[in-house]
Amino acid sequence: MTALRALLVSESRVLLRDRTTFFFTFAFPLIFVLIFGFVMGGFGNVSRSTMGLFVSSDADRPTLDETLDAAASMALEEYSSLEEMQEAVTDRRIDFALHWDGASLRFLYDANRVQENFAFAQVAAGLSSDFNLRRQGAASAVSVEPIPVGEIASAGWFQLVLPGILAFGILSSGLFAVSGHLTAMKERKVLDRLIVTPMPPLALLVAIAAVRLAVAYVSTLITLFVGMGVFGLRYDVDWIRFAVLVACATVGTMGIGTIIALVVRRPSSASNVANALAIVMMFLAGIYFPVEFMPSFLRAISAGLPLTHLANAMRYATGVMDMAEAEFWAITAAFVGIAALLFPILARYVVRPLRQ
Amino acid sequence: MKDVLLIALTHVTTAIRERVTLFWFLVFPVFMLVVLSIIFGQIGQEGEIRFDIALIDQDRAAPAARDFSPMIVEVFRELATPQLPGQEPLFALHEPPDGEDPEGFVEREVTALRRGRRAAVVVIPAGFGDAVLRAISAPMGEEPEPARLAVYMSRTDTASQMASEIVAQVLSEIDREILIRSGRFDPSREIATETVWLGRSDAETRYIDFLLPGVILMGFFANGLFGVPGAILFNRDRRILRRYWVTPMSVPRFLAGFSLGHLALCGLQFALLFLLGRYGFGATISFAAPIPFLTLALAAVTFLSFGFLIASLARTANAGMAVANVLNMPMMFLSGMFFPIVGLPSFLLAVVYVNPVSYLVSGLRASVGVESGPFSPALLVGVPLGWIALSMLVAARRLKWDVER
Repeated sequence: MTALRALLVSESRVLLRDRTTFFFTFAFPLIFVLIFGFVMGGFGNVSRSTMGLFVSSDADRPTLDETLDAAASMALEEYSSLEEMQEAVTDRRIDFALHWDGASLRFLYDANRVQENFAFAQVAAGLSSDFNLRRQGAASAVSVEPIPVGEIASAGWFQLVLPGILAFGILSSGLFAVSGHLTAMKERKVLDRLIVTPMPPLALLVAIAAVRLAVAYVSTLITLFVGMGVFGLRYDVDWIRFAVLVACATVGTMGIGTIIALVVRRPSSASNVANALAIVMMFLAGIYFPVEFMPSFLRAISAGLPLTHLANAMRYATGVMDMAEAEFWAITAAFVGIAALLFPILARYVVRPLRQ
Repeated sequence: MKDVLLIALTHVTTAIRERVTLFWFLVFPVFMLVVLSIIFGQIGQEGEIRFDIALIDQDRAAPAARDFSPMIVEVFRELATPQLPGQEPLFALHEPPDGEDPEGFVEREVTALRRGRRAAVVVIPAGFGDAVLRAISAPMGEEPEPARLAVYMSRTDTASQMASEIVAQVLSEIDREILIRSGRFDPSREIATETVWLGRSDAETRYIDFLLPGVILMGFFANGLFGVPGAILFNRDRRILRRYWVTPMSVPRFLAGFSLGHLALCGLQFALLFLLGRYGFGATISFAAPIPFLTLALAAVTFLSFGFLIASLARTANAGMAVANVLNMPMMFLSGMFFPIVGLPSFLLAVVYVNPVSYLVSGLRASVGVESGPFSPALLVGVPLGWIALSMLVAARRLKWDVER
């Protein structure tokens, strides 16, 4: 018990003194949230877009105005010349534009906005269809009534991304605890010195896990509250599920870090491999891009990644996605299972001097 | 000259032999090119993406004269069938098995939607056929209440939003067909809709053409940000640099060889990524002109000097890598390398404007005709040159080559 207490104190001091680890644990998820929140927050969101309008013929003008009034989801900016409007599109002062010459509806897009034009074209298709119906005095016989579902019906894209970032933070922290921190101790021969003391290897692992756990709670909470404070995101967090998930996922991902530490022989390479794996998982786990956009083979890979399930469980715990209760606890138990299976291996094969 | 070339060769060989370096220099840019092309290059393209949609027809019992719902079901079933061999259908359609309680089915599928397993649930309500008939029988000029189809969707889920928009488009086409058949809409009087693309050609830029310059610069950036300080500082920490100074090698000649090796690595990265983009993904842009070549050279030199700047600010290799890691993500994502920079608050815009990557990405895209860009030609060249000058000045004053013993 004395050994554990001493190790807890020393591990906490190491973490607080190590500016790099400190930065990656606390500031890195925040940078992710701020950059992605601002850069991608309004991405493809037509309700925040502006359409330019240039009318060169008065034919059907009232019908056009009625159509545009009915589609009040975006801002409208009228121009007095076509050239001025084209320049506004290419300079990205407006998102796309409509030119009505009495004979055709010409929608103008910046050819280089390859990631957003799809959304603008959908708005244009709706406007065109509505204008044609109104012009012939017809009205739709069939209409679509969208019914939003989910825990928070008014939630947006970034609301779903933030719990994914929390999950990614936990994964990185867990992976680096073993593949970065523990292997660095090995490389610096700190482990050699500890091993010759009466300290049981398990006490060291418990101390590292306890400190990482505390860090994971503080880090995820700071990130969550920044998301709520800066971007006005709302979460209905189930704190018990959140606490259990963070604890189980932290020890589980430490277990996954064991596999890296076992496979990669050189300690200094282990953290690099962990970093590379974490980034690859981040792109394939549906954190930023929906899995549905991927081809079937990538969807299959995504389904096998622990980060995919951790992110979904975190979305459930923060109330932005529904999940079967049994599935949530199965994911949580799977992380505990990974830890229970791999911690003895970690204690036996990783926590040992480099020279053995 | 031979010693300079040998240093260059050593730098290239070491980088290629080091698996981790190889990952960040070559494998990661290739991974980004492949993944982003697959994800963003196919948005909106049928045959590449697939959505899980549930559909229930609660109006199946309607008399033959009002059986509009089978038409809708048939269209959705067609969209759930692959149009070409090997292509994925747009929808994976989930319909209730015979005898299942309709309410129970809707509840189950809406739960699946909440859990992210369905992208949308389309419900054709009982009485739909009657409502359509009423709408198409109303006197012209009146706005009768249209028949409503419920589409359950999730606003938190981008895939669900996109799927529900596609469903709405499909239903809009069906609506148009019903109106034409009932004589309420005359397609010959329809106003044509035209699409005008403003840019390098009369077509939308292909995503791979937009992405490829960004990924090439990402490779150069990683090379400069991690490779340069990594090589210098690790060699200094491990006292390898000292061994050079007991030979006739001087610091300027070492520097010349190292820089040459760095440029050769950039050339290797460019060749690999360009060939993959061109022959793997069908990129059409060409770099075989003086301006794209000079922009690439400017980028390689800017990131090389930026690497020297980091090496001069860090005391140890680990500290250097930490600084590089801190700068990596903000500089990459606040440059327009992968996503457009629009609607940012002023404090982040300030980062965009001082970030040399913003100018190099914009300049390279403009040079191959993919972007007009918000920066003037003077800024596109001036800001990276300014960074080169600043970095070299700081490095000349602070970077320690471990010459003194």
